[in-house]
Amino acid sequence: MSSPRILVVGGGPAGLSAACDLAEAGANVVLVEEEGFLGGTPKKLHYSLIAPDLKPVQEVLDPLVRRVEQSGVEVMLNSEVASFKGSGDGFHVEVRRKGGPLESHVFDSVIAATGFAHWDPHKKYEYGYGVYPDVLDFKDFERMLSEDNLRRPSNGETPKRIAWLLCVGSRDKQVGKFYCCRMGCVVSIKQAMEVRQKHPEIDTYVYYMDIRTYGFWEDKVYWRSMEEFNVKFVRGRIGSINRGEDGRLVAMAEDTILQRPTEVPFDMLVLATGMEASRGTVEFAKLAGLELEEHGFIKPLQSDSLPVHTTVEGIFVAGTATGPKAIPDSVSEGSAAAMKALNFARRKAVAERQQTR
Amino acid sequence: MGILSADQIREVVRARAENRSVSDKKVSDVREEMWTLHDRGELIVIPITPENKPVEVETLFGWKKKVPTDKLWHHKSCGQCGNIPGYPASLLWFMNQFKTTYLNEPHQTSCTAWNYHGSGTSNPVALAAVAVRNWYRAYETGTYPLIHCGTSYGDYKEMRKVLVENKEVRDKVREIMHHMGKELVIPEEIVHYSEWVHVKRDEIASMVKYDLKDVVATVHEPCHYYKMVPEDAIYDSSVLGGQRPAPPTALLQKMGVSVADYSTWYDCCGFGFRHILTEREFTRSFATLRKIKPMVEEAHADVAITTDTGCVTTLDKSQWVGKVHGMDFLVPVLAEVQLAALAAGAHPYKIVQVHWHTSPVEKLMEKMGIDYQSYRKDFTEYLNQIKSGGKIEYLYDPHSEIEKYFAVNKGQVIVEEQALKRGE
Amino acid sequence: MVVEALSVLRNLPARKKEEQAEPSILLGGSRDLGLDTLKLAQDIYDQFTADPRYKEYVLGCLNCGECTTGCPAARFYDFSPREMLQVAMSNDPLVLLNAMHEKIWACCQCYTCNMRCRFGNDIAGIISVMRELAVKNGLDSAKEVLRPYTRILLKVMTGGTQVSPDMIQPDFFVDWGPDAVSKASDLKTLRKAIPIDVLQVTDSAWEVSMQTSLELFQIYQESGVIDIVRAVDPDLVEMITDIVDEWREEFEEMKEKYGVR
Repeated sequence: MSSPRILVVGGGPAGLSAACDLAEAGANVVLVEEEGFLGGTPKKLHYSLIAPDLKPVQEVLDPLVRRVEQSGVEVMLNSEVASFKGSGDGFHVEVRRKGGPLESHVFDSVIAATGFAHWDPHKKYEYGYGVYPDVLDFKDFERMLSEDNLRRPSNGETPKRIAWLLCVGSRDKQVGKFYCCRMGCVVSIKQAMEVRQKHPEIDTYVYYMDIRTYGFWEDKVYWRSMEEFNVKFVRGRIGSINRGEDGRLVAMAEDTILQRPTEVPFDMLVLATGMEASRGTVEFAKLAGLELEEHGFIKPLQSDSLPVHTTVEGIFVAGTATGPKAIPDSVSEGSAAAMKALNFARRKAVAERQQTR
Repeated sequence: MGILSADQIREVVRARAENRSVSDKKVSDVREEMWTLHDRGELIVIPITPENKPVEVETLFGWKKKVPTDKLWHHKSCGQCGNIPGYPASLLWFMNQFKTTYLNEPHQTSCTAWNYHGSGTSNPVALAAVAVRNWYRAYETGTYPLIHCGTSYGDYKEMRKVLVENKEVRDKVREIMHHMGKELVIPEEIVHYSEWVHVKRDEIASMVKYDLKDVVATVHEPCHYYKMVPEDAIYDSSVLGGQRPAPPTALLQKMGVSVADYSTWYDCCGFGFRHILTEREFTRSFATLRKIKPMVEEAHADVAITTDTGCVTTLDKSQWVGKVHGMDFLVPVLAEVQLAALAAGAHPYKIVQVHWHTSPVEKLMEKMGIDYQSYRKDFTEYLNQIKSGGKIEYLYDPHSEIEKYFAVNKGQVIVEEQALKRGE
Repeated sequence: MVVEALSVLRNLPARKKEEQAEPSILLGGSRDLGLDTLKLAQDIYDQFTADPRYKEYVLGCLNCGECTTGCPAARFYDFSPREMLQVAMSNDPLVLLNAMHEKIWACCQCYTCNMRCRFGNDIAGIISVMRELAVKNGLDSAKEVLRPYTRILLKVMTGGTQVSPDMIQPDFFVDWGPDAVSKASDLKTLRKAIPIDVLQVTDSAWEVSMQTSLELFQIYQESGVIDIVRAVDPDLVEMITDIVDEWREEFEEMKEKYGVR
């Protein structure tokens, strides 16, 4: 009996986890990744430390990448799925390497680990992203932290006061994003801790309407940020950002505890941009005929009991392609999807054998 | 009670708001439903025809909006006509320059929304009927309503929505209209005069006679232009990164004016509808401290530019009293069309009527290079001429006596009959 | 006993007789919390929640405060749109009535709160509904707020424009500076110097034809606005009706004179 042939689309935490588990279980795995490297969005956008243990991103992801490379996965970088067709004998897939010819493959089962994108804050006009250089989003600021280059883009000076604004492009009907991104709170607080760790002279303020630091993030991140790093929290949202007298940013917010409108100057402002389905996720779903759920992510067959099944038999899904998730959750889902995909492929092989007998 | 479930909320919101993000989501556009009702004979849509020479623009969500540029019915603003007469005069002056056909009639009421927002002494049926009565007058004369006031513009869009979505109000308003021998009509688009100016900005800018590059302007965007029905305001990706409404900034930039940002850009002017009349401590404090002061101290504005009645009034009139607190700013406040008219060589007193402004415009005119003193002398002579019963100058031929009483002209012919004075 | 009879108020703590007689600070000047006040509160609450706009405008609230952030009134008054939305959501007739006594009149109706609200509430709109109800029910607050407003109501309900050049009288507008009021002395000439015929009047923003004014009055009558205003200012309504009656006579004469049918 030949080894099951399984396609994994996407080389981020979920895809890496799925691919190496499958290969280690004896499957023939092809991993298709559109970028020229493995590691997904955390790597692409130069994330800095990962919560809750504040470990550098490479310490979290590099072991996974190494496992994939050592376990015999066929990694196709700079590649994308060009066509996709399911039929009785498997999934017929054409993969295109950048600038190269189409390669045809047949797979027994497929895992979509196509991931998320950070929401584009240009669309929340009142915050002046793209108008004021010192207004940054998550990806801008993570990169700044990872490169240890904390300066105001407007004048190159080290900021004295930085504010974070949670839920930008999340929990907001105005921009059609009804859901919580789950990560904005913990990442913002983590960023503030990183700032305070490296630059204790910088004041950090987090503007929030709710703090949702689930589980162990509560004490390891939220509480610790106050106890050890003196990160300050303001209960209320910033409604608009404008240019102040000296080129600083003026954040207008209501302090909902004091119940008064406030106006505070900052040198830098970080928008906690939400998560939405990546272009790759939406495109792959269209190619493979997967249903999307109402927020635009891939719809699990049953969100409670079958979270890594899609609406198409033989295609499974892992990670942020089904909704906002943290890296450990994506890694777990990768393994879960690997198990399901492997079982499906083996059952199929058994069925085929019985038919030919 | 009264609180809807998440699914109901989603339905309501999907039906009326839009996300600025995912393009393949379908959002309800009240204009589509309006046409359906038109087809069903429930109301009559006043169409924008090729005769109106429409120009297409984009609004907040990238939707298209047609802005008619000809055969217009001026829906005047009571605050402009009452306190800032150079505002409509400048607009009509430009229209004469462009040989635009229009009607400016006594057969119009205000939208009455200033009163409603100030006092609560009205209701949706009355507000909608007032709107339809005015629209109908444009309809029966074969012209298209151009709304001068930001509040009328916002109110009329709300009334359009009420009339389209609420059958009870629609039926009642239709009944009232029938009692007056009129029909229930709604214009295809609700169009603000600043949108006409916006689509005419190239032509206007080409008429500029003075060098405006040293003129620093701060823009106050009128709330009822872009906050009341956000999805209908004009945005242009080439103006302010597409993140703030394009009028009037696009015109100012086209004319070579330096447009400066300031920290309270999003704030309202402090007008408050009732406040400007009977709570003026609030209005003048807000206007001076929250708008004028940042405009002067942060942006060093030579002039504050806005596109609505209440904002010009509030920002202009509220400054003088600031002297009490040592805030001697007196920044001129003009509508964009007034500044444009000044720049294009219109008479500062006879047309732009700057003498109605309490924060003097003379210093600005000097900076622009306008010889205002000779214009002023000319105007003083003109006033003496009027006092002694001499000839009065008009932008179009005055109405006949009978029109003080009756809206007699009902046909297409009226536009031609009006014998507009052209040019000079 | 009487309190218990009002079923919707059953969640309120029962008040002792002597407590009811106490002047209430909560109610902003109301003499007592007796049956009249409770009944009024309940009446208004019922009208409020029965208004179709209530369900459409009030959805829910995350208490994020973005509405208040941009609110001009919140900077100068003890007022916030967030609070008003909470009042609208409170299901408490007395809380609603209390807000209608003063707070609702602070709102500038600029709609900044609406544009900011991530929950899609129409806060400025629901405040308008509360104001309509304050007027309709003849609340003292509405009467007081509208007292200096009579001239404007008279103007808008008869002529259809809200302001007129001759309103800028020195004694009313002294804070607008000497230049604003100096025009009063030569208003007629200055108005004649405006190159638009219908603007050359002093007692109206523009000259409104009589037919138009009468049609406007007809709208006010048929839409019930006249009755609403009567609740707060019966004298004003009488004055308006007199004016309109005279106009109707004159209008008939003019029809004859000009041969208009």
